[in-house]
Amino acid sequence: MNLQERYDSVLKESLYHGVHKSGLKVYVLPKKGYSKSYAMFATKYGSIDNQFVVPGEQEVTSVPDGIAHFLEHKLFEEEEGNVFDRFSRLGASANAYTSFNITAYLFSCTNHFYDNLNILLDFVQNPYFTDESVQKEQGIIGQEIRMYDDNPNWRVFFNFLAALYHNLPVKIDIAGTIESIGRINKDILYKCYNTFYHPSNMILFATGDIEPEKVAEYVGNSIKAVEPYKEEIGRIYPEEPHSIAQKKVEQNLSVSIPLFQAGFKDTDIGYGGKKLLKKDITTQILLQMIMGSSTPLYQSLYEQGLINNSFEFDYTAEKEYGFTVFGGESPDPERVEQEIKNEINRLLNTGLDRTEFNRIKKVNLGRFLRMFNSVESIANNFISTLFKDIDLFDYIDTYHSITFEDVEKRFIEHFKPDNMVLSVIRPFEQ
Amino acid sequence: MNGYKHTNLADGINLYYIPTDKFKTSTVTINIHQQLNKEKATFNALLPRVLARGTSKLQSFQDISRYLQELYGTVFSYGVKKMGEDHIIHFYFDIIDDRYVNESESLFKCVMEFAKQVIFEPLIENNGFKKEYVEQEKQNLKNSIQGLINDKADYAVERCYQEMCKNENFGIYELGRIEDIEKINEKNLYEHYLEVIHSSPIDIFVIGSVPENMARETVHRLFGIQSDKKRVYPSTDIITNVGQVKKVEEPMEVTQGKLSLGFRTKIPAKDKRYYSLIVFNSILGGGPHSKLFNNVREKLSLAYYVFSRLERFKGLMIISSGIEVTNYQKALDEILAQMDEMKKGNISEAELNAAISSSVNNIRSLTDSAYYIADYYLGQLVGNTEDDFEDIIKKISAVTKEDVVAISQNIELDTIYFLKNKD
Repeated sequence: MNLQERYDSVLKESLYHGVHKSGLKVYVLPKKGYSKSYAMFATKYGSIDNQFVVPGEQEVTSVPDGIAHFLEHKLFEEEEGNVFDRFSRLGASANAYTSFNITAYLFSCTNHFYDNLNILLDFVQNPYFTDESVQKEQGIIGQEIRMYDDNPNWRVFFNFLAALYHNLPVKIDIAGTIESIGRINKDILYKCYNTFYHPSNMILFATGDIEPEKVAEYVGNSIKAVEPYKEEIGRIYPEEPHSIAQKKVEQNLSVSIPLFQAGFKDTDIGYGGKKLLKKDITTQILLQMIMGSSTPLYQSLYEQGLINNSFEFDYTAEKEYGFTVFGGESPDPERVEQEIKNEINRLLNTGLDRTEFNRIKKVNLGRFLRMFNSVESIANNFISTLFKDIDLFDYIDTYHSITFEDVEKRFIEHFKPDNMVLSVIRPFEQ
Repeated sequence: MNGYKHTNLADGINLYYIPTDKFKTSTVTINIHQQLNKEKATFNALLPRVLARGTSKLQSFQDISRYLQELYGTVFSYGVKKMGEDHIIHFYFDIIDDRYVNESESLFKCVMEFAKQVIFEPLIENNGFKKEYVEQEKQNLKNSIQGLINDKADYAVERCYQEMCKNENFGIYELGRIEDIEKINEKNLYEHYLEVIHSSPIDIFVIGSVPENMARETVHRLFGIQSDKKRVYPSTDIITNVGQVKKVEEPMEVTQGKLSLGFRTKIPAKDKRYYSLIVFNSILGGGPHSKLFNNVREKLSLAYYVFSRLERFKGLMIISSGIEVTNYQKALDEILAQMDEMKKGNISEAELNAAISSSVNNIRSLTDSAYYIADYYLGQLVGNTEDDFEDIIKKISAVTKEDVVAISQNIELDTIYFLKNKD
């Protein structure tokens, strides 16, 4: 496997990239002087992939909710015990996570990087599921689900998504429900595994004080010499209207003060690559110009005691969906929602402020540079964007290309009051 | 220790400079040490929140925020934390290195100028802080203290410590006490502030590619402030006699129970046996290689998370887990059985080696984060130890099974706390 180097003179970093004959994409970003090295082996398979057509088959396969996450747990089990033991012997720390769109397996270590890499590549390629171990995992994941049921930050977010979406499975908890995971058995696990854990649906990303050529060599020795998929996996997502599902959703939990999340559903979707990257950065800048800590809105809400420093905002940019979300603690979430709407209307009339734009743009460059301080941030950000056909080495050029007019345009098209929802978690009434 | 270069700026005010060019930013932490006690805890917790609202020059959030945005979004955060009974008021700045941007002025100097304003030139009106700011932050602090309940896992750990150390200063929550908030006003908080800046030791860490001379001159000029009062480091009491095991149950509207067990290790940070304790904790509950993970979770499927953790400065250890409420006895029995296994010496070579390698990996990993480097060295100062990263790694690597078994005899259960559902 040949690696290409891409050097960025602003970042002063290099990214090496190659494609294995199985279709696996491999990326290495060397970080000289770092103690820790970090590798991530990920598949483009997340909680939203619950209906699909296996390449070569005709019929649609539907699987229980939460299966991608269940599979992630089960992959750590081997015939001879548990993968953690192998990593532990070498002092590495291993983990995994499942999001809406991807499942990622990772380790970090300060010694024996290539041996650990071998373990990573080996265990992800070799599933071992039994009925007994599936049953055992139902108990553990059952407790994980219950933990999230009690977690107000988690609940407020998933209720928010349920209000935003009519049908898209992003509204469903990543871990599924106790009932849905009860329907999982080893045969369904193998079917999902065989479909989505094909190397041509996967990416390996490694970073730390490591040698790209040596990573390529280990990959060459370890990845099975299968043929890349000739056709794409058919991912079937239900039809999703542009409208929101409901304006407001509320739930009571043991909290001291109401928590809320509000936001806008994005209807300009269906693409990845540089265009998506540009939309993402533009929206991040815009959000900061409307409700960031330097704005009159933030100052006013804060001084009225309607928000506190838990207030945060973000934009999520995926190919299949996108949304703006903001929230935190507030004694009166409805008032906050109203004041944000009023401010958006005011800005639609008066226009955005160009000096604000120039200053806030700088913040985004600072944040991007800061990401390169941590091997975890590097790997996580690169993996999640690479699956959307975004190469973050394009960030700085894209960032420079964004004009005040781009932000104005995005403002008018995304912040539509009809596409706004509010999710609130309130304390139980005494 | 030679991991940093130390400069004494004034009596009780120190600069620790750690040069490295591996980060894209320079990081500064400023740590002001106060003795944790109930009279002052709430004042300490409120103070940084009020100081961050406005300085004599940048009088509002908006002004501060705009200033920092111009500097490529310098990260500025602040708060209080406990290291044993040392109540530390801290400020954190993360500044983009000049080599990545084209600016005529050094960002580091601008930010340090701002840091000095926040700490030494607050916004003053009529011999006190600005009244509105104090009142708003009192409400925010109250919300934060009450907000502990929102994260049940954290809540169950903190509540266990609080019950366990009810009659000790360590039992005070780091954000202070609700009942004390009302007593605070813009005048008495300002008096407290003057006391704090004139009598507390201050430790400043600078980590990054800022040239040594620039770091030293800038920080010396801005923070080298002499005081008539002696700046004395706080101390922590370690309790060694444990009475009967306390049992506390708290009902709440929850679906999952949280079980926390508080232990006394009776080992202060500077004790030589502390390194054995690190390995002990790692074998017991320090990750997926541990006894608790493999038995409570993997074998019995009782929990998704279960861990043990040390509070190094106070000589405590906590075990915490999220379980089905009806499995209380089963989980408790299994946790205590694993504790017994440790005391009996049923520890395999693989367990010992995994615990040592994992601890070494964790410590060495700290060196990739400027924040953790500063926090590590701060811990050395608070704990009165002088271990550099490689020193502590060496000492941990030398721990034997016999050391671990010996130290386990020291560890005594003090409190069992259970957060459960309402019947």
